[in-house]
Amino acid sequence: MGGPAISIRNLTKRYPTVTALDDLSLDIPSGAIYGLVGPNGAGKSTLIKTIVGALRPTSGSVNVLGHDPLRNRWDLRKRIGYMPQENALYDDLTAEQNVRFFGAAHLGGDELDRAVARSLEFVELTDRAHARVHALSGGMRQRVSLACALVHPPDVAILDEPTSGVDPELRRAFWDGFRSLSDRGATVIVSTHQVSEVVECDRVGLISSGHLLLDTTPQDLLARGATTVRVWNRDGTVHDHEVDDYRTELPSILHAGVQRIELVQEPLEDVLLHLIEGAR
Amino acid sequence: MSGRTVAVAARVMRQIRGDRRFSAAMIVIPVLLLVFLKVVFDAMDVPSVGQQRYAVLGVSYVIHFVAFLLTALVVVSERVQGTLGRMFINGYRRLEIVGGYLGAYTTFATIQSALVLIVAHFLFSLDYSIGELAQIFLVLWLLAVLMMSIGILVSNLARNVAQVIPFVPAIVVPALFLSGIVVEVSKLPVWAQIASRVIPLYYSTQVFQSFFAGGSIFDDRWAFLLLPILAVVVLGLAAMTLREEL
Repeated sequence: MGGPAISIRNLTKRYPTVTALDDLSLDIPSGAIYGLVGPNGAGKSTLIKTIVGALRPTSGSVNVLGHDPLRNRWDLRKRIGYMPQENALYDDLTAEQNVRFFGAAHLGGDELDRAVARSLEFVELTDRAHARVHALSGGMRQRVSLACALVHPPDVAILDEPTSGVDPELRRAFWDGFRSLSDRGATVIVSTHQVSEVVECDRVGLISSGHLLLDTTPQDLLARGATTVRVWNRDGTVHDHEVDDYRTELPSILHAGVQRIELVQEPLEDVLLHLIEGAR
Repeated sequence: MSGRTVAVAARVMRQIRGDRRFSAAMIVIPVLLLVFLKVVFDAMDVPSVGQQRYAVLGVSYVIHFVAFLLTALVVVSERVQGTLGRMFINGYRRLEIVGGYLGAYTTFATIQSALVLIVAHFLFSLDYSIGELAQIFLVLWLLAVLMMSIGILVSNLARNVAQVIPFVPAIVVPALFLSGIVVEVSKLPVWAQIASRVIPLYYSTQVFQSFFAGGSIFDDRWAFLLLPILAVVVLGLAAMTLREEL
């Protein structure tokens, strides 16, 4: 990971009835997998649309790979891969034709042929390349959509809830794919409301009501959760002791009457919920 | 034409080719309307010369609204399904997208206009030379291109498919009464005469009237030139009004 691939400063986006982003500042490191988490309507998609230059902010600035995404959008779009939340595919065309069409915006001839083949292989759809999209399952459509986003191939991949509605096996394959992109130097931004996916990221931004509540590592996020030492006593009673550091506090908890103990980590979902509720 | 315009046109053509029901309907419906027109003329005992003139004007009217319908639903459909926004993010530009649509649908409309004219030729026993038929075809083709441009512009302004629907009668019905096909424009009230000038079919009808009078389609030079000029202007407006925001 290097310096920031994306720098956002004091970004605000107001609609007539709602403020979708409120003075949000954020740096996304180059080559990282950055997870944008938050509840539905938190402002994740608005942030993504602003990053890709599809939405004009009310105030503040966005810098992507050294460019203003609105002013220099044509230079930038060669280097950005975007997967929208909805599939946004041509159902009456084949998977290959869809990928080829979106790839043709920047590539041509043999280079395009190779890129299409590589992209379909990346999402493991080579054998269904000539199937029409309407004949594919929901998960396969997601894969086609991902292949369209990655065909050129981009330096920054911005993926809006790519694993939404995807089965666990495919979700695993997607995250392996995102990791291999990152290993090749690409910056991958993934918005998700699947809390379990946070641990797959290098950094995580927690967004709620248009505010960035937290910008940290998944490890730090996990460490913010309470640890409870659950103690079963020989007399049949059970006691919970919330501890900050169980290694130092355990000796004071243990006594002759203890039959067994268990460390209970606060689920990540609860950690995030507490952070969101705390900010309200 | 840029590579991206060609890519958009090729993609749209592929979709039109793949949708056989749509393609067939867009060819069969104009032909059926002509057959209907012939039946009505025969029932009204319209003389042969009159039938020929009204057949050409009838063909122009059919081409006029079918061409409009071809494109009116396109852009808004793409916006609703998210592919328009995706095209922009992927690097396609406004003029390339609009040009691509027009390229593809013009190819389709060329085939459509030619087939409809051929059917009209046999159905109404049109007594025109190949050169004259070519002139009629050129006017029909320019009218189709202009109407497709208007279709794209209207489609741009709508946020969903339902918003396009009110435009269909608003564009198609006044054209019948104000273009000079049903009644001479000079016999209409002044306000209607002014209104007729914004109707593309008015210009093609003027061109055909001078053609029927024994001249060529180029005799009413301004009416003829305004068809491509307006097409370019409307196409420019369509490109300018295509919203890039998702």
